[in-house]
Amino acid sequence: MKYRLSIFILFIGMALSAYADEVVFRAQAPKQVVVGRPFQLTYTVNQRSRDLRAPEFTDFDVLAGPYTSTSSSTSFVNGHRSSSFTQTYTYTLMGQKAGTFTISPATVKVDGENVQSNGVRIQVLPEDEQPAAQSSGQTSPDTQSSQSSQGSQGTSISSENLFVRTIASKTRVHEQEALMITYKLYFANVDVAQLTNNTKLPEFTGFLKQELEQGEIQTELEHYNGRNYQTAVLYRTILYPQHSGDITIEPARFEAVLRVQTRSQVRSIFDDFFGSYTNVTKMLTAPGATIHVAALPSGKPAGFSGGVGKFTLTPSISQTEVQTNDAITIKLDITGAGNMKLLKTPAIDWPEGFEPYDPKVTNNFNTTTAGVSGTKSIEYLAIPRSAGEYTIPSVKFSYFDIDEKAYKTLSTPEYTVRVKRGAGDVSSPSSEEKGVYYPQKEDIKQLGTDIRYIDTKPLKVTSHKSQIIHYNYLWLFYVVPLAIALVLLIVLRKQIKENSDVTRVRYKRANKVAQKRLRSAAAAMKANDSNAFYAAIEQAAWTYLSDRLSIPTADLNKENIASILAKKGVSEALIKDVMNVLSTAEFARYAPSTDHAMDDLYAATTNLINQLENEKI
Amino acid sequence: MRKIFVICNFLLAIICSVMAQSAFDEANTAYAEGRYEEAAKGYEALLAEQPDEVLYYNLGNARYKQGELAQAILNYERALRLKPNYKDAKYNLAFAQSRITDNINEQDFFLSSWARTIRNSLNESTWMILSIVLFIFTLVGVLLFLLSRELWLRKTAFHVAWIALLFSLVSGLNAASLHKRDSLRNEAIITQGVVNAKSSPDRSGTDLFTLHEGTKVTIRETLSEWANVHVGSNEGWIRLTCLERI
Repeated sequence: MKYRLSIFILFIGMALSAYADEVVFRAQAPKQVVVGRPFQLTYTVNQRSRDLRAPEFTDFDVLAGPYTSTSSSTSFVNGHRSSSFTQTYTYTLMGQKAGTFTISPATVKVDGENVQSNGVRIQVLPEDEQPAAQSSGQTSPDTQSSQSSQGSQGTSISSENLFVRTIASKTRVHEQEALMITYKLYFANVDVAQLTNNTKLPEFTGFLKQELEQGEIQTELEHYNGRNYQTAVLYRTILYPQHSGDITIEPARFEAVLRVQTRSQVRSIFDDFFGSYTNVTKMLTAPGATIHVAALPSGKPAGFSGGVGKFTLTPSISQTEVQTNDAITIKLDITGAGNMKLLKTPAIDWPEGFEPYDPKVTNNFNTTTAGVSGTKSIEYLAIPRSAGEYTIPSVKFSYFDIDEKAYKTLSTPEYTVRVKRGAGDVSSPSSEEKGVYYPQKEDIKQLGTDIRYIDTKPLKVTSHKSQIIHYNYLWLFYVVPLAIALVLLIVLRKQIKENSDVTRVRYKRANKVAQKRLRSAAAAMKANDSNAFYAAIEQAAWTYLSDRLSIPTADLNKENIASILAKKGVSEALIKDVMNVLSTAEFARYAPSTDHAMDDLYAATTNLINQLENEKI
Repeated sequence: MRKIFVICNFLLAIICSVMAQSAFDEANTAYAEGRYEEAAKGYEALLAEQPDEVLYYNLGNARYKQGELAQAILNYERALRLKPNYKDAKYNLAFAQSRITDNINEQDFFLSSWARTIRNSLNESTWMILSIVLFIFTLVGVLLFLLSRELWLRKTAFHVAWIALLFSLVSGLNAASLHKRDSLRNEAIITQGVVNAKSSPDRSGTDLFTLHEGTKVTIRETLSEWANVHVGSNEGWIRLTCLERI
């Protein structure tokens, strides 16, 4: 292992050292040249080399070269020594005919190894058609400038020599389709020193403007209208037309400062040598332009939010199994080219129970000459507040495809999210989120509320049946008592009836029976049989009272009779009489007396029965 | 042989009850130490063997402590089914219900809500026994009324008889009503956090109203995996997985 590691480190060291001494072999030439004008092609190596093998310059004439030159420098910065070495091979070439040509790579030997350079593409522009300009046919820039200085000022700064063009990349576009407007300065035979800030750009009304970053102004050669011009891009912008119809872009104005050689009356040798120049400002006007904007076709889909271009949608969800109060993030990456800045953020229809937050939008756009492209990342954050299974509906994003000239709809999948109850809920079960507030009472300070504690009494052994009585037998519990009651009723009724019948008969027959006994008493009196008389009288009285008052024979005695009579509201005198008769009859039975007594008793008894008969008992 | 069998059975019952008691104590300890999930599991295991109001009540408490409001309410309701006058369960149920989101305004006539309160104050068996006892009172009253000769006794017996008959009927009806409720099991608690009631028993139905967990609903009918529920004056379809019957 250690062995391996050391080898690895060794390799890294070698790679580093190789990197430090990396051979750089480059070919350099101007991008544009004019036919018949010499130019230089240079090959530079950063190490000592030899044996340059240049390719065959089939489309160019080799005027001179290769010249070899070397330069080296060593510098100490903060104690670090750094040295650089450059070897340059220079060719002087000349274009034969107009066109774009490629010079294939050259090779050179560095430490015995062949190193290849890059190839070079050179655009050869035709010569100026009109030799009116003094520069034509001139081979050296020095003479050109001297020529121009000799020429009259008025003719050299003409609209042919110096102008600004307005270049629209497209003039027929759809709504929201990108186009580029370029203001380009063309100049020939004039010395443009600088551009002032006094620039008036049009408003670009009707467009959404997206300026392109402007680096340093670089000049290029360009063949235009039969002449070769130095050109410089002054301003570039991407435009998105905001409505259909013909939209006119107003002319723009630029101001350039030109260096013009002064005509001095007194010409000294110094004037010629140093030259004497003045700066002249010149207003340049770029023409306006008209853009024909076609409206988007009808039949816009429901989710269309104005996107025009070409887009792709990459959805992602952070998690589908969450706990309550844990955030869920859905991220949509809209990647593509088009009017990215105008894209509306699609809305997610979160289900109930989710607390959505405002989506976070991150734009990562590049503005290139082709338009705005890049990625719009939208992060939707929502926090589930209740447990359950939820479906997040799909999000639809529609745009107008500019290449296919048709509407396209992109959509995210439906997400099913399972929300479990979070651990955070346990300690304080959803006190604040459910919105339960207990009013603060003044008299009793409530510190908190909670459920009552669990029941810890021992478990009962009794089994819980849902009901003690089965429904199939329930009716018995009603019918059996009812039957018992009915039987009781019948039996008791019968008995009562029987009882009441006996009593009533006795009651009704009381007088009759008494009279019967009295008659036998009367017969006994006639026969002077005192014993039989008293017995008959006594029986008559007792039987009568027993029947009349419904007193059973067992309970028959004087006190009972007296109390019942009193209860039934019989007068005191009559009760006394009754007692008298009863005691007399009883007494006389054991102690017989005179005849008179018998008569008296008989009369008293008869009288008493009659009186009782009249009483309401 | 039979005797041995009976003795064995008896012993088995004792062993079972002892084991259940120890499991119950274990779950109670877990609850006391804040291990609510463990406690809930213990109560649930015991309930699987035999329903008991105390177990339901304790399970409800454990669920409440875990923050599962719907499960807590469900178990308190079940405890009260077995023992309607369970004071602690009543208190905790009211407490848990004060924390649910939905505020259901019962639009009932006050008499029917009274009737329901009275009905729910006793359990089915108690009502049934009460009904039978009152019926016997009625019979005694009728007998006295028919057989007695004393006027006051007859009068008293008459009033006792009709009042007892009336209450016997009411008790019987209460028992029948409770029996119907328990056998249909058409009352349920919403267990999903938020659920939308649909106009028809399918996903594409229009959302009619939103219910939150812990709300008590009445199931009118079921159709495959959907239940037609009734809450207050609202009616809609909810998936059966979103609720649990009491």
